[in-house]
Amino acid sequence: MSTTELNSLIEAARLDADHVFSAPWEARAFAMALKLSQAGHFTWDEFRQRLIAEVRASDRIRARDGTSDNGEYYDHFLRALEKLLEEKGIAHSH
Amino acid sequence: MSGDHHNTDDSGPAARVKALEAILTEKGLIDPAAIDAIVDLYETRVGPRNGARVVAKAWTDPAYRKRLLADATKAVAEIGFAGPEGGHLVAVENTDRVHNLVVCTLCSCYPWPVLGLPPVWYKSFAYRSRAVSDPRGVLADFGLELPREVEVRVWDSSAEIRYLVIPQRPKGTERMSEDALAEIVTRDSMVGVAKVEAPRA
Repeated sequence: MSTTELNSLIEAARLDADHVFSAPWEARAFAMALKLSQAGHFTWDEFRQRLIAEVRASDRIRARDGTSDNGEYYDHFLRALEKLLEEKGIAHSH
Repeated sequence: MSGDHHNTDDSGPAARVKALEAILTEKGLIDPAAIDAIVDLYETRVGPRNGARVVAKAWTDPAYRKRLLADATKAVAEIGFAGPEGGHLVAVENTDRVHNLVVCTLCSCYPWPVLGLPPVWYKSFAYRSRAVSDPRGVLADFGLELPREVEVRVWDSSAEIRYLVIPQRPKGTERMSEDALAEIVTRDSMVGVAKVEAPRA
């Protein structure tokens, strides 16, 4: 949670201002979650709660260890989606 | 690809997403073409250009500015911006005395219809954990030093409310058209981590 860390993320955003996804899989995970929620398989709020839980768990580790994140937001996003789909019996990832 | 051993646990997110998309497609729950369309929409069409148009209109049309401050959801819908994560939008205006900064401390709430998807730094622990406790420090990281007498207001977004900062119109832009003004409004200025600069002559 250092200034250095935020600075490197700010710098990355400056180099590529319109950058929203770091890899194609992030975009597809996002689009699948949005599509499934729009189709009524779950509400976006249900998904958001899982996402918040994943982010919070990661935040706790960062606060404890004093480590930084390297933009792994979509890892949390994907895990939240996999868990929700499993809970709903829609798809099992393993 | 033989036997019953799945190694999804060991494989990276790209492989997991690919597997998930295959399962969901096979079940008829998603159509890859529809997924492509959403990706394209958020990569190229829904983005901070929308918000910039809203801000430029507010700068040049006092009646619109009033409507925007009164009910931003309605005011942005007026010019065609609506959609997921667009409900309960609140516009907050920067002045000589007040500077507004937006964060989502919980995860990533952000007004998609006007700003698109949030940049990486907005979702980072570094930003989320410090924006409330040390907003001036965060602004300094972005290269923005504010006079002491300017009050910094931090708005924590949620599923219920998202914020759009109306930055100050820079001096020297009095003769610029609404379209030209929209070109100079940046995403960062609408989150509150930057000011809008007048174009250099």
